[in-house]
Amino acid sequence: MDYFVLVIAAIFVNNIVLAQYLGNCPFIGTSKESGVAIGMGLAVVFVAAMAAVITWCVQKFLLAPNDLGYLQTIAFILVIAALVQFVELFLKKVIPPLYKSLGIFLPLITTNCAVLGIAIICQREEFTLLETLIFSVASGLGFMLALVVLASIRERLDLARVPISMKGTPLGLIMAGLMSLAFFAFKGMAS
Amino acid sequence: MKEMIKMVVVLSLICGLSGLTLATVRQATSARIEEQVLTYVQGPALEQIFTGYDNNPVKDRKAFDTPGGPVTIFPVMKAGKLTGVAFETFGKGYGGDIGVMVGFTTDGDKLQGIGITTLKETPGLGARVVEPDFRNQFRRHSTETIALSKSGGDIQAISGATISSTGTVAAVNEAVKIFNTIKDKLPDAWGS
Amino acid sequence: MSSLWKEFSKGLWKDLPPFKLVLGLCPVLAVTKTAYNGFGMGMAVIFVLALSNLLVSLLRKVIPAKVRIACFIVVAASLVVCVELLMQAYAYPLYQQLGIFVPLIVVNCIILGRAEAFASKNPVLLSVADGLGMGIGFTISLTFLGSIRELLGTGQWFGMQVLSDWFEPVRFMVEAPGAFVCLGVLLAAMNAFTNWQRRTKGLEAVQGPVHDCKTCGMCATKPGA
Repeated sequence: MDYFVLVIAAIFVNNIVLAQYLGNCPFIGTSKESGVAIGMGLAVVFVAAMAAVITWCVQKFLLAPNDLGYLQTIAFILVIAALVQFVELFLKKVIPPLYKSLGIFLPLITTNCAVLGIAIICQREEFTLLETLIFSVASGLGFMLALVVLASIRERLDLARVPISMKGTPLGLIMAGLMSLAFFAFKGMAS
Repeated sequence: MKEMIKMVVVLSLICGLSGLTLATVRQATSARIEEQVLTYVQGPALEQIFTGYDNNPVKDRKAFDTPGGPVTIFPVMKAGKLTGVAFETFGKGYGGDIGVMVGFTTDGDKLQGIGITTLKETPGLGARVVEPDFRNQFRRHSTETIALSKSGGDIQAISGATISSTGTVAAVNEAVKIFNTIKDKLPDAWGS
Repeated sequence: MSSLWKEFSKGLWKDLPPFKLVLGLCPVLAVTKTAYNGFGMGMAVIFVLALSNLLVSLLRKVIPAKVRIACFIVVAASLVVCVELLMQAYAYPLYQQLGIFVPLIVVNCIILGRAEAFASKNPVLLSVADGLGMGIGFTISLTFLGSIRELLGTGQWFGMQVLSDWFEPVRFMVEAPGAFVCLGVLLAAMNAFTNWQRRTKGLEAVQGPVHDCKTCGMCATKPGA
C-alpha cells in the first residue's frame, strides 16, 4: 500500500516536471516530436533509476560513514557523469539497436537536473534502497508522461496559426502551464 | 601514452585542489552552520513552547550525558534564573521520524509544552500534529501518565492520523524519562 | 577595454539569459515565487559563474581536451559546494527556501555552457567579464520574474505589502502552473518587442530564439568524450 502511494505521488501528485520544476530544459527542448520524446523519456527512466540507486549506495557506504555529507553534490554529479559514459559505451558494444534509439539522448542526461534532483530528493526524504528504486522509476515515468503528452500537443500546435512571437518556446511553456494546472488537481486527491 | 598521463595528472590535481579548498571552507563554516541550523530548525519550536524569557536558549545550550547517549539541552532563563529546559526527542511517524521539542518547567514536574521540529507526513493529515489544537493538550500537562485517550490517557488523537499522534506521545514519554534522569543536575549547570 | 565592456554587456540585453539565451529553466521557474528568492538564487549563480569562468579560463591551456568536460564539472561542483556551505552559514533561511535548487546549480546549463562556449577559448579578463555579465543578467531576469509573480500572487514585493485590500491575490501565480505561463508570456513579449524593432527597420519578423539542446553548450559535445 505504501509503495502504491509512493508511485502515485511521484507520477501524478508531485510530478517531477509539472509540480517540482525539475528537468525543464529537456522538457521544453525535446518535446517537439513524440518519437523523440519517447526516446528521451525512456533514457531518463533508465538513467535516473540507476543513478538514484548508485548514489544511494555512495551516500550510505562512502559519504555518511566518513562524515563527508557536505561533498554530496560533487560526488553525485561525478557518479552520474561517469554512469552516463559507462551506459553509453555499454549500450554501444552490447545492445547496438537500443544504442541507436537511445544513444543520442544520453549525453543530454548528465545536465538533466531531473536525474541529479531525483537522487538528492531520495537522500533528503531518507528513503530506503527499495523506496529509492521505486521512487526513481516512478519519477522517471512521470517525466516521460509529461514529455510525451506535451510533445503530442505541440505537434498539433505546429499546424495552428499563432502570432509569430508566440511560436516555439513561449507557446510550449504556456501549454506546459496548462498541463501543470491539470496535474494540480491531483494535489486535492492526496488528502 | 604521454597524453594519458597528462590527463590523469591534471584531473587528480584539480580534484585534490578542490578537495582541499572544500575541506577548508567546511572547517571555517561548520561551527556557524550548526548554530544556524539550531536557530532556524529548533529555535521556532522553542518559541512555541516558552514565552517571556530573556536569554538565547540556542547560544546557552549544553550537552548532557544520559543513559541513552548525549542530549543537547536548551535552557530558558529569566533575569539570570533558570525557569525551564527543552530538548528534542524522536517518535515514529507515518513517513519517517517526527522530531518533538519537549519543554519542562523547573518549578515542578510539569510539561511546559511541545513543538514539532521535523516531520515527514502525508500533507494534510499527519501535519496536523503541528497545529495548536493538538499541541496545546500538552501545555502544563503533568509528567505522569501521558497517553492517548484510547490507551486510557487524556490526549485526544487526531482522527485519521493515529500513527503521528502515537509517535508524538511516545516521543514525549521518552523525553520525560530523560528529564527525570537529569533534572537534579540542571540548576548547577546554569548556575541558579 | 571596449571588448571587456562588450563581453560584459552582452549578458545584460543581447544574450540576456534566460530570455534571449534560453538556458537553465528549472531554477527560473522554481525559485521565482518571490522576488527575494529569485535575487538570492541569482547571487549564487553570479558567484559560481564568475569564478568557474575565471578558473576554467586560467586552466584552459593545462586541461587536456579529452577530459575537459569532466574538469569543468569538478570546478563547477566544487564552487557549488562552497556556495552551499556559505549559504548555510550566513543565509540559512534562504537556503531553506531554495532547498534542492542550490545543489542543482551545478547542472544549470548556463555554468557548463559558458565554460565550454566561452571561458575555455578566451583570456581570463574577458571570461570573468562574460561570467559577471551573464550572472547579473540572470539575476535581473529572476528578480523581475519573481517580482511579477510575487506581486500578482500575494500583493507583496520583497515581502512588503504593496497592493492594498482592493487587490485579490491570484494564487495561481505563485504555484507551478503560474510559473510556466508567466515565463511563456514574458518570452512572447520579448519576442514581440524584438519583432517590433525589426519592423521599424524594415526587416521581416522572425520566430524567437529556439530552445533546443543546441543552445546548451554541453549537448553539442559529448561529456567526457
